[in-house]
Amino acid sequence: MIRLRNIDKYVDKKFQRTFILKNIDLDISEGEFITIMGPSGAGKSTLLNILGFLDEPSEGEHYFLNEPVHQLSEKKKSQYHRSHIGFVFQAYHLLDELTVYENIEMPLLYRKVKTKERKAMVADMLDRFNMVAKKDLFPSQLSGGQQQVVGVARAIIGGPRLLLADEPTGNLHSEQSQQIMELFKRLNENDGVTIIQVTHSDEMASYSNRIINLRDGTIVRKNPYRLIQ
Amino acid sequence: MIKHYLILFLRNIKKDKSTFLINLLGLSTGLACVLLIYLWVNEELVMDKFHKNHDRIYQVIEHLDFSDGIQTYLETSGPMAEFLAEEMPEVEYATSTIPPEWFGEHLLSVGNNTLKAVGQLVSKDYFKIFSYELIRGDKTEAMTDPNSIVLSRKLANSLFGSIENVIGKLVEFEQNRQFRVSGIFENVPSHSTVQFDFALSTEASKEIPPWTSLQTWNSSGPKVYILVKEGANIPNLTTKIEKVRKNRDENTIRTATLAPFAQLYLHGKYENGKLTGGRIQYVKLFSVIAMIILIIACINFMNLSTARASQRLQEIGVKKAIGAQRNSFIFQFINESVLMAFVALILATVLVWLFLPRFNTIVDKQLTLTLDMPFYITATSIVILTGILAGIYPALYLSKFNALTILREKIRSTSSESWTRKGLVVIQFSLSILFIISVVVVYKQIEFIQNQNMGYEQDQIVKVNIEGTLKDRLQTFISEAKKLPGIENASSTTHTMVGQNWSGTLDWEGKDPKNNTQFQIFGVDYGYIETMGMEIIAGHGFSREFGADSAGIIFNETAIRTMGIEDPIGKTVENGRAKIIGIVKDFHFKSLHDNAEPIFMVLMPEAVKYVMVRIEAGKERDALEALRTFYEDFNPDYPFEFEFLNENFQAQYASEQRVATLSRYFAGLAILISCLGLFGLAAHTARQRTKEIGIRKVLGASVGNVVALLSKDFIRLVLIAIVIATPIAWYAMNRWLQGFAYRIDLQWWILAAAGLVAVVIAMITVSGQSLRAAMADPVKSLRTE
Repeated sequence: MIRLRNIDKYVDKKFQRTFILKNIDLDISEGEFITIMGPSGAGKSTLLNILGFLDEPSEGEHYFLNEPVHQLSEKKKSQYHRSHIGFVFQAYHLLDELTVYENIEMPLLYRKVKTKERKAMVADMLDRFNMVAKKDLFPSQLSGGQQQVVGVARAIIGGPRLLLADEPTGNLHSEQSQQIMELFKRLNENDGVTIIQVTHSDEMASYSNRIINLRDGTIVRKNPYRLIQ
Repeated sequence: MIKHYLILFLRNIKKDKSTFLINLLGLSTGLACVLLIYLWVNEELVMDKFHKNHDRIYQVIEHLDFSDGIQTYLETSGPMAEFLAEEMPEVEYATSTIPPEWFGEHLLSVGNNTLKAVGQLVSKDYFKIFSYELIRGDKTEAMTDPNSIVLSRKLANSLFGSIENVIGKLVEFEQNRQFRVSGIFENVPSHSTVQFDFALSTEASKEIPPWTSLQTWNSSGPKVYILVKEGANIPNLTTKIEKVRKNRDENTIRTATLAPFAQLYLHGKYENGKLTGGRIQYVKLFSVIAMIILIIACINFMNLSTARASQRLQEIGVKKAIGAQRNSFIFQFINESVLMAFVALILATVLVWLFLPRFNTIVDKQLTLTLDMPFYITATSIVILTGILAGIYPALYLSKFNALTILREKIRSTSSESWTRKGLVVIQFSLSILFIISVVVVYKQIEFIQNQNMGYEQDQIVKVNIEGTLKDRLQTFISEAKKLPGIENASSTTHTMVGQNWSGTLDWEGKDPKNNTQFQIFGVDYGYIETMGMEIIAGHGFSREFGADSAGIIFNETAIRTMGIEDPIGKTVENGRAKIIGIVKDFHFKSLHDNAEPIFMVLMPEAVKYVMVRIEAGKERDALEALRTFYEDFNPDYPFEFEFLNENFQAQYASEQRVATLSRYFAGLAILISCLGLFGLAAHTARQRTKEIGIRKVLGASVGNVVALLSKDFIRLVLIAIVIATPIAWYAMNRWLQGFAYRIDLQWWILAAAGLVAVVIAMITVSGQSLRAAMADPVKSLRTE
């Protein structure tokens, strides 16, 4: 599904080139659940952003479903965002001015889904995550865990094939974190959504079936084997 | 999707009510100004355009080539109309008129029903050229008989109580002549420059005194209008008319030419024979001013939107990650600003409705707010334009952030952004300061004019028209009036001190034959100079004590200087027919736009039209009451009407007064809106720097330190605005003052004061916010982060 070849990401400052990512080779197949781990500043988020087309590598080749991403236009990338890729953020990034219902509905507006269909899809999603009673509340009225559930709902309502999550449980306590991880697991196993998450927690990483370790911008150990829980 | 945008628009308003209010107030005032000016401009532009054939109606005007420059008269020679109608195949109809402003008010009576009405004299094809529709009578026949009178619907109703069966009935004119009603025309619409309630035939005028002299080619008489045939070649016709005029008299200083009638209202100012503008200048000026106020309001919107961008950035970031493209944001934000402008429009319409009566008094019009299709179309286009103008910069600015920067990093305001914002504030304040300076200068100049020594005692003199019994027994009236309590003196004259005058040339010894200096002629009675309080600097005024004064002539200083006569008293002019008996100090009788002109006065008791009565200062009420009682007894058929000369004089500056009043309002609004914006920005800055202020206070900064810190930046911007605005204002106001022969010097303190006012107002605006931030408990502010 995803193929990275010789990906470099660097910043040039005066006479010095600082590498954030160096020489990354990575293959991800459809249906995997991957965790990217590593110490702060290792380049985890940058790698995730590149995988999600939010950032561009300085060098190297990046294929998504056999399309060369490094050659895609902004417009094409936007289209992929709408149809293929969903994001879950550490800080949830729900829009404060919109209700739970409206937050979940938003991606469908950009996909130009018809009103009737949209209603059904949102209702379905609310149902699935047990949020029906809360649909008219604003994010500030929800707990962090509930907000992140809304964040996940928003990310997957468009039916993405790839879900990217940057420390999705970073702001949550353990019980809430587990709920989110269970959610991810179900999505991965039942719906076949490919998931890539960044996390610091071994516990959260244990939900995934492959861990990529980053250190100083390079992958130090690929673990091709499914972890035994 | 639109619903989604609408929800965001409304919820963002709810979240930040103060910004919304600032934008609403600013934009609605701006839009209200634009709408008011739109209504006014609209009315100005349709002036005289209601005539069906307005694009084929031309007025014959004349340029007169005097020694001191070309003057343009809107009148031409008496025989012109008839000549054009007969000799020029391009001319369909031509008409001669003695216009209402000359012919004036007259007494009309039917039985015991007597009233005054404004009329004019017109020749036979008048109603065929102009679209004053006849609702009774026939437009071909109406003006053929010299004894005909045509009435407006209103006047017919007041005279006869009805418009039915009025044709053929008699109306008594000035109680000495009867006219037969031959037609009734629909009331003259307000957007006609010619306002009249009845018309007599010019044929009749051949017997009425002042107009009898209008039958020669070599004088300026009636206003002449022609209707040209369709497709007529106007430049050709103009050349032909010019040639005809020259052929008649080789030495004439007159050049007749054509001016499109319906455009004269806006384009009627000729200088030295060239069209230089007219009211159109005011139309342009006020359109620009209204636009500027709207722009100032739009700048508030731009500044506040970009300053508070951080509140919208999260939305942009998330939406971009979801796959929204930049265009969709530009659309969304412009949508929001257009919506904002639309909300402002609703308030603006209310404001217009509230202030229209006041505005009408200022501009002297009867504008009405009609919510019809053209209004909706205009208002909608203005709103869309305003929305785009206000929204385009924030839209481009906000939409350009990329999702990653927003979601991963904290956005700090970029330097280019704050530079733009600072630049916009400078523009706002430059414009405001420009307005303030203009207002002060216009005000000072008008005050200066009003306090000018006029050379006569304007304030104490009352003018009464000579009509009815006064005509026959004037001397009795004057000598009796002088005996009334509180009345110091009285005399009579042919002219008021303002407006239309007689002028002519004069012969004197040693005159250059090419010199055709025009002298202003005052026909006066004995005691005139004394009554008016003019100063005699040599010789004496007209007085019965000096027998031969009926052949005497009195000049003003300028006239003596122009003629270059040494030791003038006792010398004669006009080949010995008039003897110089006195010289009067220059006095102003025209507006102070013009320099003093050469004047002579001669005794002309038979032609006087006004009694001038001088009233003792402080006794105005009693004296006028006594005069009224006496007048009503003496002249029972006429109502007692009087006018102080100073009021009459002020009327000359009506348009300057209007500019002054309007610009005062506009300047106030400009500075108000600018300050609203500054207030919003200051509040924003204070909020943004809460933490910094807290830290500074904990480290020992005083409230004063903090206020200074926060205010400094804004005050610096206002100072830059002063530096930019002052030279522009200096240049512009100097140019405006050039239009006055008597004018104030542009003093530096006016500019300095305007700058100071701006700084003080800005300081008050900003320091309120800064003070609040500075007084806040630092512990609290540090905790909020």
